Amino acid sequence: MPALRGVFDQPTPVADVAKRLRNRGFENLEIYSPAAFTELEDAIDEKPSKVRAFTLVGGLLGVFTGFFITIWMSWDWRIVIGGKPFASIPPYVIIGFELTILFGGLLTLVGLLAVGKLPYGSFGKNDKGYDARFSAEEFGLVVECDARDVAEVDSLLRAHEAKEVSVVEA
Amino acid sequence: MTPPPAMPAAAAMTRGAELPDSQTNRDILAVMGRPSLGYFALLGLCVASVGLAAAIWIFQVYQGLGIGGYTHPVFWGIYIVTFVFWVGIAHAGTLISAILYLFRAKWRNAINRSAEAMTVFAVLTAAQFLGIHVGRIWKSYFILPYPNQRGLWVNFKSPLMWDTFAISTYATISIVFFYIGLIPDLAIARDRSTGWRKLLYTALALGWQGTTRQWKSHTRSVLHLSGLATPLVLSVHSVVSWDFASSIVPGWHATIFAPYFVAGAIFSGFAMVLTVMIPVRRIYRLEKYITDYHFENMARFLLLTSIIVSYAYGTEYFIAWYSGVEFEKSAFWLRAFGPYWFSTWVMIICNGFIPQIFWFKKARTHLPTLFIVSTFINIGMWFERYVIVITSLSREFDPAVWGVYTPSFYELGILAGSFGFFAMLFLIFLKIFPVIAIAEVKELDIHHKAAHDDPKVHGAWAEGAR
Repeated sequence: MPALRGVFDQPTPVADVAKRLRNRGFENLEIYSPAAFTELEDAIDEKPSKVRAFTLVGGLLGVFTGFFITIWMSWDWRIVIGGKPFASIPPYVIIGFELTILFGGLLTLVGLLAVGKLPYGSFGKNDKGYDARFSAEEFGLVVECDARDVAEVDSLLRAHEAKEVSVVEA
Repeated sequence: MTPPPAMPAAAAMTRGAELPDSQTNRDILAVMGRPSLGYFALLGLCVASVGLAAAIWIFQVYQGLGIGGYTHPVFWGIYIVTFVFWVGIAHAGTLISAILYLFRAKWRNAINRSAEAMTVFAVLTAAQFLGIHVGRIWKSYFILPYPNQRGLWVNFKSPLMWDTFAISTYATISIVFFYIGLIPDLAIARDRSTGWRKLLYTALALGWQGTTRQWKSHTRSVLHLSGLATPLVLSVHSVVSWDFASSIVPGWHATIFAPYFVAGAIFSGFAMVLTVMIPVRRIYRLEKYITDYHFENMARFLLLTSIIVSYAYGTEYFIAWYSGVEFEKSAFWLRAFGPYWFSTWVMIICNGFIPQIFWFKKARTHLPTLFIVSTFINIGMWFERYVIVITSLSREFDPAVWGVYTPSFYELGILAGSFGFFAMLFLIFLKIFPVIAIAEVKELDIHHKAAHDDPKVHGAWAEGAR
């Protein structure tokens, strides 16, 4: 299947053309951008990122672990202080808190890798549509289409300020 | 009608062997270019001081902590002072990256990368002091809760345990934060490097191509990490302060300690960022990215935190007097007029009085002044910890057991080595990683350009893009 690549200078036209293309049924789109732009992210996928689920699970796991290890260890190795209970909740809040952050943060990293599908591709190889210009200051939009749609997509890209359109895959 | 033919890929690629690039990439990646002789000289000096400190440490392991200046009743000396100092320095990076990120303070992104790097290096420096301070390093892992033959668990009611958890969490999270922020910039460097650097950046960039899926999960991760790191940065120095505050030693036993330490940490961290970044900007000609506006904002932070810290000093003295407790009163009297009067006055003058010059815009925007004042603050903040730790311990309740601590040559050597270690890591960082978050700078640049083209969005972005 051929793929066309448009190169742009600004994010807004990329977002517009991506939405238009998706409305017309071209679902295999990829946008390469030099920095984060919410309009681009929303043009491809409106749903909130799933990273948040990872953070939440990590945080809950952390707070549970923090309180569990402190309370359980106090009971397993008892330090007798008068008639006081072995487990003392106020100081354990600190451990619970720290582990919430620690596990939450680590699972956020896992979330980034899992949701962002990193590490991506095979070592040292980029997508065919990728270009070092997209880590400079230009934007790329690669769209897969049938051979008969090439002309339509091409004119659509050019109509949205694409300064250059090329075929990247035959 | 025949549509215009699509340009074949080959045609697009024959635009010349020259790598497509942008000014921002070139300027910032230029910092990683061939190091100068001066760089190697400085690095050599740092390595030498680290080597000296390592030799002293090995000698100390062999000989015992007795080679330090410890004398009854002072058994927390320079090592703990310096530990607290470096943990404090570590606060600026996360504050700039996390809290200012959540507040959408756009000026942060010229300095956040270097500040994050300083955070990581300062935590690593600080963490070593926990090992140096415990005389028997081979038993230091006893602090971790691990299953052992003795069937014994650690005591989580001890502030030292809280500290262990806080510092290791902080170190881990700041490294994760630093790395996640680096990924897009590593891809920029990967696309523009050759040889071993290409291999390194290809491995570290994880195949980053800036696709929407990657950016989306990246921005969400940074947001969530900021949300997690914000309470963390406030908690770390609070927990460190509780090492002191949960004891009954006069001068330590104060409820004000947590906020007092956190303000002091931010104060010293920002001062360190300024002390390091003013020469870096000058040497590598980054004036276009790190502007006087950034420095002025940091000077404002210094002024604010200086006032908070001075207020805390005042409160300490006031409460010592107002409590009517004899021990508190004499502890604070002896701080200012006892054998350690020098360190106390250095602390008060450097942290309380000198930064007041930042009330004047002229001082905030005059770089030599900024550099000198921030250096004084670094000195003052080290002395603050010295005052808190040493004076309080040396004059406890019973005059019969008072003592005077003087740091030994060995301790001062390790102190110097810690500065060498921090500087060494930072110098290596300058040459390996982009010193400014390139992708974030570009985000503003591109929006700024769009704003100039499109009058509709001009107002909104012109403000944020400063």
